[in-house]
Amino acid sequence: MAAKQSLSVALEPRASLSFDDYVTDCAWSPDGTRLAVAGGEGKVALVSVGDPFALQQIGEHLLGALAVAWQPRAQRFATSGQDGYIALWDATGGTQLKRWKPGVAATQSLAWSPDGELLASAAGKVVCLWSAGGDKVHAFAPAASTAVAVTFDKPGTDIGVALNGEIAVHRVEKSRYETRRYKWPAACLTVNFSGNGRFLASGMADGTLHFWNRSTGKDSQMRGYDGKVQLVGWSDNSRYLASSAGNDVVLWDFSGRGPEGTRPIVLSGHTDRIDSFHWQPGGEHFITGGRDWRVSLWRPAKARQPVDVQMVDGEISAVRWSPDGKRVAIGEKQGRLTIFDLVAR
Amino acid sequence: MSVTPSRVPVTVLTGFLGSGKTTLLNRILSEKHGKRIAVIENEFGEVGVDSELVIGAEEELFETNNGCICCTVRGDLIRILGQLMKRRDRFDYILIETTGMADPGPVAQTFFLDDELKNQFQLDAIVTMVDARHFEQHVDELNEPAEQVAFADLVLLNKTDLVDDAALARIESRIRGINGTAKIHRTKNADVPIEKVLNVGAFDLNRALAVDEAFLEPEYPFEWGGVYALAAGDHLLKTAGEHDHHSHEHGAHEHGHEHHDNHDHNDGHDHEGHKHEDLDVVLLPLPEATPAALNDAIEKAVRAFAEPATVVPCHGALPEIPAHYAIDVSHPGADFKLKIAKPGAYALFCEHHPAEFGLHLHGANPAAERRFASHHHEDDIASIGISDPRPLDPAKVNQWFDYLLKSRGQDIFRMKGVLNVKGEDRRQVFHGVHMMFDAQAERPWGQAPRVSNLVFIGRGLDRAEFEAGFESAVAK
Repeated sequence: MAAKQSLSVALEPRASLSFDDYVTDCAWSPDGTRLAVAGGEGKVALVSVGDPFALQQIGEHLLGALAVAWQPRAQRFATSGQDGYIALWDATGGTQLKRWKPGVAATQSLAWSPDGELLASAAGKVVCLWSAGGDKVHAFAPAASTAVAVTFDKPGTDIGVALNGEIAVHRVEKSRYETRRYKWPAACLTVNFSGNGRFLASGMADGTLHFWNRSTGKDSQMRGYDGKVQLVGWSDNSRYLASSAGNDVVLWDFSGRGPEGTRPIVLSGHTDRIDSFHWQPGGEHFITGGRDWRVSLWRPAKARQPVDVQMVDGEISAVRWSPDGKRVAIGEKQGRLTIFDLVAR
Repeated sequence: MSVTPSRVPVTVLTGFLGSGKTTLLNRILSEKHGKRIAVIENEFGEVGVDSELVIGAEEELFETNNGCICCTVRGDLIRILGQLMKRRDRFDYILIETTGMADPGPVAQTFFLDDELKNQFQLDAIVTMVDARHFEQHVDELNEPAEQVAFADLVLLNKTDLVDDAALARIESRIRGINGTAKIHRTKNADVPIEKVLNVGAFDLNRALAVDEAFLEPEYPFEWGGVYALAAGDHLLKTAGEHDHHSHEHGAHEHGHEHHDNHDHNDGHDHEGHKHEDLDVVLLPLPEATPAALNDAIEKAVRAFAEPATVVPCHGALPEIPAHYAIDVSHPGADFKLKIAKPGAYALFCEHHPAEFGLHLHGANPAAERRFASHHHEDDIASIGISDPRPLDPAKVNQWFDYLLKSRGQDIFRMKGVLNVKGEDRRQVFHGVHMMFDAQAERPWGQAPRVSNLVFIGRGLDRAEFEAGFESAVAK
């Protein structure tokens, strides 16, 4: 019995911090010692993991911060804001290294290549690549519509861009750029490469989820959502594709012959909309945060019920696992930030 | 458990290119009115110039730079509204400026279709600005101005100082004909009390849908029909004005191609919309001069329009009824003799609204009349955006613009931009509407990158021509 119990885990509150701004998103440093936080009213803050945890506001973006992305293998992160700027921050001193305005439109999405050498930005219709120092490496030709999300695949050779009516995948090889397009006549809201490289998924504004087999180009459509599929994420082992358009999480199982024709796993329990979720790095746990002030921890391979549920002080806007998968940061719309540790029970 | 605060009212501001929306926004963003207003702009162009044109208001200004609002912008609009809602000190009002080419319908519908928006925002009104000086011309040539007016809760009839009272009355009646329920407020230089724009509180989903349906009506070959009670004998169908044989001999009406160097907006220059052309009309006998009889005659009129028309020159006669004629209305003061053998009710259906030509039956008013949804299709209207950091030579810019306005003034509905002029530390901002053009120096560039951003919106514009023009103005 004792051995079985040790498999069971729970969330234990570790720290509660006042960010005093709407938590748009947060990003952990690769070593898990720091957390960068971006605020809807524009605050940029840095949390130092310690005893106690400390939160320090280090800068701001006028009119709101839109994205935060931590550079792999470094103590640096990038933020972007409604003011149109991208900023690079040094996390050791909490200082701004560079701030620049790539164009007229605000940068809505930022993504680092896995090796930390390239930063991709999506601003309006233009996706740009920047060096780690913030110098322009390449600007892709403007798309026909606004790029709402940008991401790298795991090897870092492909950049996926979510557009209206297509996912564009730019391949970057020795400064040569080739573009492949995965089309569907609806606004693509997310772009998600599976870790094993086999699939490309996107949540759509028309209430569908699409995934393409990247070797055959075959497009599969999953329906039955209540509305826009705004949250999409692959489990670390590429077995599950999680998605949400409301109070439930819909999980598609890619083991065996894949999810087509199967019924998805539905994780129910939230009583209001889920606004953020995240798969545990290196593990099977999955965390969700909702407008019902509830944080739910799931282990979908084992159970359809949450492993643990914790209440926080307000509507949740961001949930992020630390890179070692042992800790989660929970950001709230009213500005509180809570850190939970994953503990055995 | 979640607390739902009161919804934030949203005003959608629409209006054809050059109607004065930017001027109004500048007022809203600069005047002291004690309200916190977030303005969302939507620009029909390849570069976002409007944010540069709104002077000193960066902190309140949000721009979605996204092409036509009918399609791709919805996602973005929702994004920006979501971003606004992340502010815990909330705005009192949100004002969405649609591009001049947009149909405001999709934006309005978004607030009803999207659950997220529905919970957080309350659409207050669609406000349409109308440029009194160019409205009649635009509405004849394009679909959008009529659509924008059709969707409006409030029409701001702007630039009333640039037209005479007769024109104002004609425009108002035309607006009324398109939208019988909108309030009309006359303004000069977009000077309207902000409460009038933001507190309309009149948005009515049913009305928006009803208008939408009207635009889905079947396509008729005519825009207007009227029924008259006529005595036997000759009647005269006349166009407005005095017949001028000179303009006849010279063919197409001269369009005043001299450049308006003095920027005089009151020079009486008139954009002649119809230098052609035959107007197709159908005459039908009706049992009585009533709206019901007119409605009953619609099908018959459609069939008659399908028959070949008899061409009638100026001063010609329309001897038969029923019949389909093509009357030459290219000259002011043209008249046509209508021979009525038997007293009674007669319907006249016109391809275009008769008011466009001042066409009327001398001494008779229609007992009933009706407009029909016309389906002009926007054809080759596009925008050309040029964004270039190279400094420009002021003299060469002037030459280029002079040439542009002379050669393409009629085709360019709107031009605006910010110029990086060599040796000038302030931004040169320009606006142009057709051949009228105004430029002034605005705030200094300061730390901002010096880049010229120009947008030209018009019909049949050739990008290569504009790029070559810009190239010719680059300082050597």
